[in-house]
Amino acid sequence: MLIGTVVGNLWATKKDPTLIGLRFLVIRPFTSDGRESAETLVAVDTLGAGIGERVLVVFGRAARHCIGRSHDIGFQTAVSAIIDKMELADGRVIGSTKDHDQSVKR
Amino acid sequence: MFLGRVIGEVWATKKVDDLRSMRLLVVESLDEHREPGAPKVTPVVCADTLGAALGQHVVVAFGKAARVAALGADGDFAFEAAVVGIVDDFDVPSAPASWRKEPV
Repeated sequence: MLIGTVVGNLWATKKDPTLIGLRFLVIRPFTSDGRESAETLVAVDTLGAGIGERVLVVFGRAARHCIGRSHDIGFQTAVSAIIDKMELADGRVIGSTKDHDQSVKR
Repeated sequence: MFLGRVIGEVWATKKVDDLRSMRLLVVESLDEHREPGAPKVTPVVCADTLGAALGQHVVVAFGKAARVAALGADGDFAFEAAVVGIVDDFDVPSAPASWRKEPV
């Protein structure tokens, strides 16, 4: 599982029939040094996350479970939660979006 | 599976039902080759049923192993990484000092 920021939506008309009707998001993984990761990943979203929101992404069987269409579908990445807050040991508080980030002195 | 250190905790209200009341920790893997101050790691978020504290070293498992360890049954749970052990001590002569250091 990892935390990421939703950076976009994605549509595909020609796709595996098991994926019809699913919502796809483009997500940029969170890195511990706070900079933006170079790579992105695509995840199915059933919770309604919007651009800029921080989400929890799961993989594999757990992801197919989140999507809720049995295990025989052609996808393995899904959003399982929309993050309210993440507190890090170095004093950073990562909020639901970039605007809600803060740094707390310890 | 990997050895890591708990660097944070995550809260979410809107989530898949079976993550309800599940404690979620942010764990950074300890990498022998990673230079201090160097880059960009994507930390792993893990389910925790053992009660690991911030800064503690933990062993993390993935996949079915994680679901069995955390909830005692395999099945359909919405996570695939879990803390399966809280490390008392380790002896890795080649480990860099940063492994022992408390998180900044």
